[in-house]
Amino acid sequence: MTGSALLELADIRMNFGAIEALRGVSFRVGRGEVVALLGDNGAGKSTLVKIISGGLKPSAGRMVFDGAERFFATPAEAKAQGIETVYQDLSLCTNVDVVGNFFMGREIVKKWMGLIPVLQEKEMEKVVADALRNAGTRIPSLRTNVEHLSGGQRQAIELNRFAHWGGKLVLLDEPFAALGVEQTRRGLDLIKRIAAQGIGVIIITHIMTQAFQVADRIVVIRQGQVAGDVPTRETSPDQVVGMITGEAFHGRTQEARPNGPNP
Amino acid sequence: MKSSRQRAIAEFVLDHLVWFMLAVVLIAFSLFVPNFFQIGIFANIVEQSTFVGVMAIGLAIVIIAGHMDLSVESTAALAAMVTGILFCSRGIGLGLTLTPEWLVLPVSLLIALSVGAVIGFLNGVFTIKLGMNAFIVTLASYIWVRGLVVAISGGRSAQDLSPSLRVIGIEQLLFVPLIAWIAILCYVIFSFIMGRTPFGRHVTLIGGNAVAAFRAGIKVDRLMFIAFIIAGAVAGLAGWLLAIRTSGATANLGTGMLFNAFAAVVIGGVSLKGGVGKLPGVYAGVLLLSSIHTAINLMGLPAHYTQVILGLLVLAAVLLDTLKLQIRQRFA
Repeated sequence: MTGSALLELADIRMNFGAIEALRGVSFRVGRGEVVALLGDNGAGKSTLVKIISGGLKPSAGRMVFDGAERFFATPAEAKAQGIETVYQDLSLCTNVDVVGNFFMGREIVKKWMGLIPVLQEKEMEKVVADALRNAGTRIPSLRTNVEHLSGGQRQAIELNRFAHWGGKLVLLDEPFAALGVEQTRRGLDLIKRIAAQGIGVIIITHIMTQAFQVADRIVVIRQGQVAGDVPTRETSPDQVVGMITGEAFHGRTQEARPNGPNP
Repeated sequence: MKSSRQRAIAEFVLDHLVWFMLAVVLIAFSLFVPNFFQIGIFANIVEQSTFVGVMAIGLAIVIIAGHMDLSVESTAALAAMVTGILFCSRGIGLGLTLTPEWLVLPVSLLIALSVGAVIGFLNGVFTIKLGMNAFIVTLASYIWVRGLVVAISGGRSAQDLSPSLRVIGIEQLLFVPLIAWIAILCYVIFSFIMGRTPFGRHVTLIGGNAVAAFRAGIKVDRLMFIAFIIAGAVAGLAGWLLAIRTSGATANLGTGMLFNAFAAVVIGGVSLKGGVGKLPGVYAGVLLLSSIHTAINLMGLPAHYTQVILGLLVLAAVLLDTLKLQIRQRFA
């Protein structure tokens, strides 16, 4: 990783009453970098995601995004700056067609008599068609409601939408939990293509093979702290499992966490 | 190819089912009910659809947005009573007059809309600001607003509405009184708002998935608030029209309309799950109900049967809503 990071977290702490969900988390995400965020249930991943993507203000710590130090009060604010979380099926309205979803909250309107905003459906449909074609995604009809589309197609819409609207950092929460083998493969390709456009990607997942297939770097959260931050090339699934569960590592020691029990 | 065309046809029929039902019912009644097929009857059906129709607009918008508003009937009654008290000259009416006289029309309309909007606003405060369940909040409004109607009227009625108001209940255009045209105009306007403007799109998105809409930067709370206020204001308009039609207001004016409006909304293809439904369909649902009322009257059946049929229709509509999903899956 060279130059300034896209996102830099420094010593993020989060307390919910007496409970310490995060106890000083620091890591960086570069432009065009895919980072897999791993950790057991309750490790603090979700809290971290909410802090990054807006909606939760940490108790302490610093976040630098795109060269400016700040936190986002709401997801809308984060989104305006180019950070977005794609949750499983939570980012689409299945009762509306592809075009409506693609333009959700950003509809092209023309003021009728300079007063009444009117949706420009044809114009929007053209934009969506172009965007999906450029990304190599095929969807039979842009006027079908999303409820009739497959999980893979839905994900493609979400990610293409994100890239189209000038997103800089996308957080994917269990992106392939509901997908088949072939769809997952396409999804992983899609993520690589998205990253190749200079977008930072954070994937939250439980599935080790996927993390290794797509991520440039793996960050493990354990009990509210970073238990490991290693380039994917320099680690192994066994070692990562060790970091997640907190077992002592055999072989190489971890530079990120040198506080093992000293004799 | 063939299956996709079949599916397109199936989708079209399912989406416009209520219109097919309306056509079938009208043709059947015309053929089998004596004296049904005349212009006066059809005009009467349109006129009858005015009040429930207008009320159903607000109800439908709130349901499409994924909430519920049971207060529309009482809100309409309150608006009617306020209009009656202010501008009626007999009973409990104060007989207010304005100069020039025609000013009564916009002023009373504005008052009725405001009365409705205030109730809608209160519903919004409890539901959105305080996070209470909309069903309970609006059920409470349904009760207390009706109570308020009885209280301010002392159980008595107002009669003899100002003639400059009554004129739009009497004057006709193409056999149909102006108040019915106002209802149709409301449907045109609100269908446009729901179908072609960002507000309508956003309300539909919220009804489908409020979380996604929120994440997309749509101001969910604000829009829901506006939806409740619109529902209240439109109910106020329904009350105003009702007062004009009956040339006054009684304490029990409009009782039972909520269920008709509800039935029309459901029959019209609005899903109670939210996010699904179109306003023209709701109007077709209202017309369908009015047609059935009229046919029952013409056949000389006791009016009680209307209620039985109405209940069965609502059941059928909800059943259809459930079946639609299965039919869609078969074609998907």
